[in-house]
Amino acid sequence: MNFKHKYFFLFPGLFVLIGILIFPIIFVVRLSLSGWNSYNPGLDFIGIENYIRLFTDDPRFWESFFRLSFLSVTTVILQYVIGFALAHMVWKDIKFKRFFRVLFLVPMMTTPVIMTVIWRTFFHESLGPVNDILSNFGLSPKWLTDPALAKFTVIIVEVWQWTPFMFLLLLAGLLSLPKEPFLAAAIDGASPVRKFIYVTFPLMAPISIGAIIIRLIEASKIMDTVYVLTSGGPGTSTETSSFYIFIKGLREFQMGYAASMSFTYLIIMIISLTIIAKVLTKLLLKE
Amino acid sequence: MNLIANNLTYKPSEEYHLNEVSFNFKEGNLYTILGRTLSGKTTLLKTIAGLLTPDSGAIEFDGKDFLKVPVWQRNVAMVYQQFINYPHLNVFENIAFPLRQRKIDNEEIKNKVMESLKSVGLVGYENRKIQELSGGQQQRVSLARSLVKNAKILLLDEPLVNLDYKLREQLREEFKSLFSKGLADETILIYSTTDPRETMELNGEVIVLDEGKVLQVGPAKEIFENPSSLKVAEISNDPPMNIIEAEISNEQIRFEGIEIKAPNHLSKLTDSGLKIGLRSSDIELNENGHEFEVELAEISGSETLLHLKRGTIKIIMSIEEVLNFKIHDKIKIDFKIDRAYAFAADGKLASSPFGGNNG
Repeated sequence: MNFKHKYFFLFPGLFVLIGILIFPIIFVVRLSLSGWNSYNPGLDFIGIENYIRLFTDDPRFWESFFRLSFLSVTTVILQYVIGFALAHMVWKDIKFKRFFRVLFLVPMMTTPVIMTVIWRTFFHESLGPVNDILSNFGLSPKWLTDPALAKFTVIIVEVWQWTPFMFLLLLAGLLSLPKEPFLAAAIDGASPVRKFIYVTFPLMAPISIGAIIIRLIEASKIMDTVYVLTSGGPGTSTETSSFYIFIKGLREFQMGYAASMSFTYLIIMIISLTIIAKVLTKLLLKE
Repeated sequence: MNLIANNLTYKPSEEYHLNEVSFNFKEGNLYTILGRTLSGKTTLLKTIAGLLTPDSGAIEFDGKDFLKVPVWQRNVAMVYQQFINYPHLNVFENIAFPLRQRKIDNEEIKNKVMESLKSVGLVGYENRKIQELSGGQQQRVSLARSLVKNAKILLLDEPLVNLDYKLREQLREEFKSLFSKGLADETILIYSTTDPRETMELNGEVIVLDEGKVLQVGPAKEIFENPSSLKVAEISNDPPMNIIEAEISNEQIRFEGIEIKAPNHLSKLTDSGLKIGLRSSDIELNENGHEFEVELAEISGSETLLHLKRGTIKIIMSIEEVLNFKIHDKIKIDFKIDRAYAFAADGKLASSPFGGNNG
């Protein structure tokens, strides 16, 4: 195939790619080398000053990054375990199978922000129903204002909201498995528990890796839940990277500095997710 | 240790998959279940394995109620017509799987697996992935897996049906030598097939199954010589036995303008509506014979199958050599009438050349 206007047909796709991906990334890099802020708008050039500030003089960014790592890894592990359990349950022939399959998807179909508002009301220290019930036992935990407990609350809401997605991916995986190995395993003397450990789980490994990586990418963007539930508080105890970048860039309008944080964050995420995917593949697929 | 079934019935929908099946299998014997597709062979094997629970009836093994034992404790091995293995494990681990379900140390597992690899001729393949093997090799792996655990009951569900001709021949030979070795002493071997030839070659006790019902039980030779009914004759012959409606009187068999002197075992039959059964191999070409028209000629292997027609009757004959015939050729044939069977109007065997039900 050698005709001159082939590039013409490439153009629409290329245009979209440049418009929504390549240009923004290059622009962020250029922006991160400028001192753009509300006093000083414009693309001046200040070298790597922003990066020096980020790496030497901003512990808050790194704290928020490690907090984010903790939150996303914890929530994804919980989502995987609960999602797998639920998917495994409705994969078998049980009564009202269809009903349960739909029921487990309901959280995913709700609007995250609105559900978080409802959760916030739920966990409200003096007016919420949770503490109303717990007060009967003489308890009134500070769900949203205790630094440690607030993280826990964020995890609960995230797990509730996104487990259905994990459930959906894993159920699709289970339903696509061949039936024969299970017949063979039963006859070969594997009890139901051993069947799960030696057949179901290894066969699900490729799908599990995919689901975990997808959820990790999603979970590390966590922003709306934190914004609505605690606004990063108390103090900065639930602040995550994206929330901190949002504050610096769109509240304090330090565009240049926020861009340098975004770009650093992007590089770290690409590297760490690649490593995680490799490690998971080695662990689960034994390759 | 006997495996005894009593009136097993399984009827998931309109049709019976098993209809009051009873048997008494003794250890150290080979049993062949012969039946066409959908006759209930697989259902029966699955019921024995514990993958299916019958609607009614009982299975007893070694004096215990087998239906109360869960599948994974039954100590049964099974080879399926599809090649079923574990796609995520290599050949060695596939075969080791049943052993890993018990507390057996690694050294012993290794020895047993290697021994079993040897018996199916797959030494050197232990680290291969299952997907890298051919169909025949995959089936050997599942056979090795079923042999390795020394199960008391070994079920083989049409294990050769999905293999190509050459491999089928080869594996069938291997089966025969495997079965004749020590294995057969304490194991109940149950082998299901649609192929009468396989049944005869394996030469075990045969159970003829049709629409979930047991039609006849007996040694292969007995089934071949004295099929109890038309249906059994049909199922246990490939190509199916020719059935000709005929009239017998004055020691003469008459059909379609042909008159043949009846042999001794047929001459005294007087019932009306008799059907004469004759194997395709019991018809021969003969210059002085009766004229038939060739409808179809097919060559299979070293055999020629001729579909013949005369008036309203159609028959199939097989010739042990490759010959060329054209459609609508007229040929002359003769019947080896002393090897003919007679079936009564209700389908029951009336008389056979081997003395069954002789009238």
